[in-house]
Amino acid sequence: MKTFDPVQMAIPFFVVAVFLEILLARLGKTKAHYEPRDTAMSLTMGLGSTIAGLFTAGITFAAALWVYEHRLFTIPMNAVWAWVALFFAEDLTYYWFHRLAHERRVWWASHVNHHTSTHYNLSTALRQTWTGGIAGTWLLWLPLSFLGFPPAMVAIQKGVSLVYQFWIHTESIKRMPRWFEAVFNTPSHHRVHHARNARYLDANYAGILIIWDRMFGTFIPEVDEEPCRYGTVKNLGNFNLLHNVFHEWVGIGKDVVAQPRHALGYIFGPPGWSHDGSRDTSHTLKAKWRARTSAAKAREDTAA
Amino acid sequence: MDKAQIIQLLGSALAIGLMVLLAGWARIARPMPRLTAQGARDLLAVEFPDEPVDAVWIDGDGAGLVARSGDQALVLWRKGDGYVAREAPLSRLSEARLVDGRVRLKLGDGAPRLAVPNGVWPPLELRA
Ligand SMILES: [Zn+2]
Ligand SMILES: [Zn+2]
Repeated sequence: MKTFDPVQMAIPFFVVAVFLEILLARLGKTKAHYEPRDTAMSLTMGLGSTIAGLFTAGITFAAALWVYEHRLFTIPMNAVWAWVALFFAEDLTYYWFHRLAHERRVWWASHVNHHTSTHYNLSTALRQTWTGGIAGTWLLWLPLSFLGFPPAMVAIQKGVSLVYQFWIHTESIKRMPRWFEAVFNTPSHHRVHHARNARYLDANYAGILIIWDRMFGTFIPEVDEEPCRYGTVKNLGNFNLLHNVFHEWVGIGKDVVAQPRHALGYIFGPPGWSHDGSRDTSHTLKAKWRARTSAAKAREDTAA
Repeated sequence: MDKAQIIQLLGSALAIGLMVLLAGWARIARPMPRLTAQGARDLLAVEFPDEPVDAVWIDGDGAGLVARSGDQALVLWRKGDGYVAREAPLSRLSEARLVDGRVRLKLGDGAPRLAVPNGVWPPLELRA
């Protein structure tokens, strides 16, 4: 089952790029902040996720093969049109996976791992989940094989997307050319995605193309007046690796045990959902932020 | 795991060690100056924008603070080169014992150890 894996191929490049970003920041040539414990956590998460992936790769690939055996069409792996079609189809799948991973707690429990750093540098890109296999988000890619894309082809395109998303995890690039920002996911767009500022929550789910966010109404541009503050709404209280990996799973478990009648809400509701409304979700946080900004504006208007 | 995978794993672990060492050597973490009264207010405004602040106590290291907001305690403490924010009932503060001039507040997944220079805990300004 050895196929070409773009992520494995790119690892040496990832390492060199992180070295360069640190050195250039040290020399004052670029903007980047690294905190050693944060860096260690991100990189260990990256290595651990490749190991965790080994355990589930067999099952997920077998599932894709089984679905492919019942496919609707037979799409050739060596046709350019097929790769073009898959590029768009996979990227659209990624958008919906990523949106689900933020808007439903059970999938957030796995994806939150990528968002726990309070830094935004190239090492943050490597902070990957260990529990994606358990969360089952890989099921979302099965329809592509059902359509007729060979599972190996889908796996390669998934890898290409992950490799693409590496370079956008940086503060050293402010903006790309306008046409590029309009079409592609960029450091600026993805900074917003990693921000915990209320105004930036739940935005820019793109993988490679930002067009999906623009189409489905989840695009929020980065504004210079409000710099991104990175991490999660409630930042982690320690640098414990296992806490980072499992904290949201444990949180779900505790809530379900405490409120079994509301289990579905605590599992499939949005992160922060509670049966008595005592916690904040990104919706309530955004509503409070809007109320604050309009109140501040009203004060300015009466003062003027 | 075959031999190639084990070699790759060891190589990756070594690369991680080197990158972390480099990150430590470069000293490019965010600067973390001692908290001032103004700095404390600014932090509270960011982390608890909707909570009215009645009083603020800054710890002896200038690395943490506790604010009183009605019957709630708003706590912020330094973790790495940033701050972590947590909220707890004010009454919980008095559960913490002063040992060697410090209190350890248990706040779920975090437990800041705050310096109490004058040996008075809870601080007078935080008492309701
Ligand atoms: Zn995300
Ligand atoms: Zn990211």
